[in-house]
Amino acid sequence: MTYPGILPDTDDALTAPFWAAAREHRLVAQRCSRCGAYCWTPSEVCPECLAPLAEWAPLSGRATVWSLAVYRRAMHPAFEDAVPYTVAMLELPEGIRMLGMILTSTGDADRDGEVRIGDEVRADFLEADDDVTLVRWRAARAAGDDYSEAKHD
Amino acid sequence: MSGSRGVAIAGVGATAQGELPGRSANGIAVEAIELALADAGLTKHDVDGLITCRNLQAHVGIDEQIGELLGVSPRYGATLDYGTGNFSLHLAAMAIRSGLAETIVLAYGTNQRSAKADFGIAVGGGAEMAAANGVVHVAGRAALAFRRHQFQYGTTEEQLGWVSVAQREWAQRNPLAIFRKPLTIEDYLASEPFVAPLRRADLTMISDGGAAMVVTTAERARDLAKRPVNVAAMAQRTAFRADHDAESLSRPWLGKLAEELWSKSGYRPEDVGALYIQDATSVWVLQMLEWYGFAPLGQGGELLASGATRPGGSLPVNTNGGQLSEAYMWGWLHLVEAVRQLRGEAGERQVPGLEVALDVSSHDFLKGAASILTTRS
Ligand SMILES: [Zn+2]
Repeated sequence: MTYPGILPDTDDALTAPFWAAAREHRLVAQRCSRCGAYCWTPSEVCPECLAPLAEWAPLSGRATVWSLAVYRRAMHPAFEDAVPYTVAMLELPEGIRMLGMILTSTGDADRDGEVRIGDEVRADFLEADDDVTLVRWRAARAAGDDYSEAKHD
Repeated sequence: MSGSRGVAIAGVGATAQGELPGRSANGIAVEAIELALADAGLTKHDVDGLITCRNLQAHVGIDEQIGELLGVSPRYGATLDYGTGNFSLHLAAMAIRSGLAETIVLAYGTNQRSAKADFGIAVGGGAEMAAANGVVHVAGRAALAFRRHQFQYGTTEEQLGWVSVAQREWAQRNPLAIFRKPLTIEDYLASEPFVAPLRRADLTMISDGGAAMVVTTAERARDLAKRPVNVAAMAQRTAFRADHDAESLSRPWLGKLAEELWSKSGYRPEDVGALYIQDATSVWVLQMLEWYGFAPLGQGGELLASGATRPGGSLPVNTNGGQLSEAYMWGWLHLVEAVRQLRGEAGERQVPGLEVALDVSSHDFLKGAASILTTRS
């Protein structure tokens, strides 16, 4: 089955390193070599100190759900075979936020109850086709993550 | 040049809204201009400025194109990119105050529905990253913002539903409105979510249409056909850091915009007799009721459920039906409606004794504008 959605242009100069890392199942973001701030979404310059951003640094792959929403209707025709699916705004310990798609049993976090605001999630990777690997997220608890278990208890 | 030169809206015009097949965006804008000029008792030869609004996904709506179609060469011409009505009004006021022009006609026309414009892909920074995660259409970010509001403050879907229900009640009194079929809170709650927790009624349908205004000096406006509506105060604020700002979806910068508006103008929220909130989604209404100080932060839902914003309520909001029920016109029709209400021309939806209206708008998550309009001099 072909990937039901919109694939990124992995040759785009600004974002190519992100997609190359995802191909190797590594989650990365730009980190400023002058002030140390992480930057998301990708940018030519650091929005804090204006230094050119050249370095990509590994992220922990952990995040906390700031908010989530469930697409029950495709709001763009490309996603017609993807619904229902759950998206989230995620807070990363590195001090940045990312939009992400959360994988749950049914795709509908409201109905299967696996993920709520405040929960921890972990990065996962989805081979969308022969060239593109996308980042996805799963409940840390469902993935059997000890760190997250400890925090919840 | 006179910094204190008062500016007033002297004419407004709106074309039919909905589907206008076979019409060009620029042609629709010209029709709206004719209507606004006639409303002011002027002709195209009386204006020395033209401000237009580029359409979102096409190189149309440019001042050079519309000026040619209109057959005029005014002293001053400008185009705003995604110029929601409020920003165009502010630019006109600035041009008049600086002496670049004295009487400006400003317009927006669009055939985005008939032209099948694609609004699905997120606008703003990181659009491609958002789409790779399935976050398409403003409904996604709005749903995320509302779910967070629910989590923080206990706001319910029913409370949010009153935005759409109240605006539909207003729209039923507005012949221009596209959506006039009754919508009860029970209907709202029974409808299926599109992007949960948001439903169809929380979102805007893309439509065709045009709107225009004539703006001139307060002095000149006094001699024209209609009662002038003075622009008493203006404020703007940007949020260009966008994705790099932690709370971008909650748009707290709107609170800073409001603070500036109230402190500089001397007006207070309690002076406002009718409130116009540009509503790309119902969530924007909830956010702006709070950030502009009409309800304490987190209590906008209670204000909505109290019925205050409905016909007959103490704080009428979007008496045209807003973008949710009237038409998707980037806030232009909110201004047209505010002017008609302030003049007392709003028929069965007239807010009695209205003297002060506030129009607040935002362009996506990136900038906001506010205008206080009044018939007081
Ligand atoms: Zn830096």
